[in-house]
Parts: sequence; C-alpha cells; structure tokens
Amino acid sequence: MDREAILLDYVKNELLRGRANNITAEDDLLGAGLIDSLGILQIVAFIDERFNIQVPDEDVVYENFNSVKALSDYLAQ
Amino acid sequence: MIRRLLLLNGLAAIGVVVNHATGWGYTAMFWWAHRYRPVTSPNFDQMGDLSYFGLRSMEQLIMFSIPAFLFVSGFFIAFATKKNQSTVEWHVVGSRIKNLVIPYVIWSTIILLGQALQGDGVTAVEYIQTLLFGRAALPYYYVPLLIQFYLLSPILFVPAAKKNWKLLLLITGLIQLGVLLARYPELLGLQIPVADAVGRMTPGWFFPGTIFWFALGVVAGFQIRPFKAWLDKYKWVFLGLTVLSFFLAIVDWEMMLQRSGEWLTPTRTLLDEFYSGFFILAFMAFQTAKVPYAKQVNDIGVHSYGIYLVHAPVLEYLSRAIYFVAPVILGYQIIYQPILIIAGVGIPMLMMNLMNRSPARKEYKYLFG
Repeated sequence: MDREAILLDYVKNELLRGRANNITAEDDLLGAGLIDSLGILQIVAFIDERFNIQVPDEDVVYENFNSVKALSDYLAQ
Repeated sequence: MIRRLLLLNGLAAIGVVVNHATGWGYTAMFWWAHRYRPVTSPNFDQMGDLSYFGLRSMEQLIMFSIPAFLFVSGFFIAFATKKNQSTVEWHVVGSRIKNLVIPYVIWSTIILLGQALQGDGVTAVEYIQTLLFGRAALPYYYVPLLIQFYLLSPILFVPAAKKNWKLLLLITGLIQLGVLLARYPELLGLQIPVADAVGRMTPGWFFPGTIFWFALGVVAGFQIRPFKAWLDKYKWVFLGLTVLSFFLAIVDWEMMLQRSGEWLTPTRTLLDEFYSGFFILAFMAFQTAKVPYAKQVNDIGVHSYGIYLVHAPVLEYLSRAIYFVAPVILGYQIIYQPILIIAGVGIPMLMMNLMNRSPARKEYKYLFG
C-alpha cells in the first residue's frame, strides 16, 4: 500500500471505527467533523510510528491535515 | 511539543479520576467513619493524620487536570482555523459541539435513570436544567463549560488571539483572577456582599472562572514558535515554581481550614491556579522528558472523554457497594484509593474497548465521543 492508502485505512478503521467507509482521500475530515483534536494528535503519533516521520509542530496546521490527500501531499514534500 | 498534548490529556484524564477518588476518600474518612470505627459520623478525628495528607497530596498533585483539558481544547481551536481566515468556521465548532453533546446527554440520562430507579426522579424541567448546567454528576459541569468556550471561539478567542494575543491573555487572566478572588471572603468566613454576588454568579459551569486556560491554549496554538522558545528559556523556572506552588497550596489550604474551624468543601484557590499553570508550562517545556508508561498514558489520553463521562457513576456505585459489602476497606485509604482509581480508569476503558471490538463499534462515537 502506498502512504495515502495507509493513511486512509488508518483514518477509516482506527479513527472513524468503520462508520464512514465511503470517505475518500479528498474529503475534509475536520470541516465535516469526522476527526477532532485528539484525532489529529493520533495521526501525528501514527505518522511517527508507521513512517518514522516526525511532523514539526509548526506544520501541524489545518491546511496539512484537513484531508488524507493534503496530509499525503505534505508528507511527500 | 504537540505530541506532549496527548500525554498531557492522558495525565489529566487520570487526574480527574484521582480527584473524584479522593472526594470519596474524604467521604469515607469523615462521613462514613461509623462504618469501620465506633464513632458517630461525621467525625473529623482523622484530619491531619498520614492518610489525610496522603489524600490532600494526591488531590493537589492533579489540580492541573481541568486547566489542562481546556488548554488542549483551546490549542485545537487554533489548529482548526485556516491560515487565510480571520476566525474558525462555525461548522467546525458546531461539529465539535455535536460530538460532545450526544454522549453527554446519553450518560446524563443514564445517571438520572439510575437515580430515578432509587426513588429520586426528576421532572422534565429539572432534566433540562440538569443537562444545561452539568448537574447529573459532579464532573459534568465541564461539558457545558467547554461548549461555551467553543461558542465564544469564532467571535472572541480566535479574532483576539490573532489580533492582540498579549491583550487577550491579560484580560482573560484578570477576569479569572477576579472570579477567584471573589470566592475568598466566603473561604475566610467574611461577609462581603459584592464578592458573594460575584461568587454566586460564576459557578463552575460558567466560563469566566476558567477563561484564561482556554485562551492560553488558543494563543499557544497560534504562536507556537515563540511559545516554544519562551518555554525553553524558562523551563527550570517553571519546574521550580511548580514544586514550590504545590507545597504552598497545601499549606495555604490547611491554614484556611484551621482558620475556619470546620470542614470546607474543596475549592480552587489562587495557589491551585498558579500550580496548574506552572505544571502545564513545565510539562510542555520539558519536551523530551520521558513519562513512565507513556504509551498507556497516550491511550488514556485518546479515550479521555469516555473516561470523563463514565468514571463518575463507576466511582459512586463502587463506593456505595464497598460501604455496604466491605466497609473495613473504607478505613484503609491505601487500599480504597487504588481500588477506586483502577476501577475509575479501567472500567470505562474496558467498556470502550469492548464496544470498539463489537459489531456496534460504528455507534462508539455516540456513547464515548
């Protein structure tokens, strides 16, 4: 699985517990209320554990985390 | 630093359980003393002994819990604001409130149904009041409080934090200080009508009494780079002040108790607020300091809202069961407290894990947030 697919799988199964299986990588997770502050912190921890990437605090912003695609694009930089 | 927020949230969740466990500890020590000693309750003979100071130390240690929750929530508001927008969008705030309200209403209703089964029912008006003011259980005031902060975020906190964050911190700090000082005359047994009125008008569920903690979180979220630099510069000062204010707060409360000559309901004092602030700042400042069982604490942090809502009835029913079934335990805080704390954290965690592995996991959000 590529990074985007892994992140999408994590969001669907771990954060959303399978209640929004039809979401796509482009969906606005924050705007739609699908994830909250703790969800963001979980994603930051997951990225560290799974990809061994430490997201700098300054980069934990809405624009980088509002969708799986945005996050994946940010990590690709 | 951001990864420390989850740990802080976990410690705060444990702290909330410890706080209410110590509350039941005092009940056992003073009001249920007749269940394990040949005395008439309430009996305050144990005040000042080792068990009493053990409870007081635990209670003092975790004073940072609610300020920490508010700080983390404020930080989220900053995160949820787009860079090119002047404030956080209402629908983001609305979603967050919806996620808080549904589990809160469900657990409040469960608690009230439990009370009704014991012959203590409420009318429809009382039910609404209970929900509005967070009265179903002692810690539930926090939910209406947090909702007020979220509602104020788009119109107050975010614009003010973006425009003049120093002024925001100054004004919210003064408001919180004013509310706190207004509670002192009552603690000191003085009759000052204005202070009494302010005290009555600012119950725990009303935002002015804790406004600074949420504002601090919002500002820290927007000013993350200078905030980190500031923390790093003064981290040893914050640590020293945390230790100092911890001991001073204990001495301060004991002096108030002695002055009053009677039992005072635990109330947050000025030194408690200083201790809370210094603890949060010191904890965030020492970013690389290891926390024992960090993975487990993180896990508790993730489940903090569920623990917050469920631990109160767990502690109440468990305490009452011990009162009837094994009252001898009430006389040994060294046994009683671990039972309450482990159950207060463990039972909600077990319920959440079971639901997460069940076919009903899609509905998890509605029950535990």
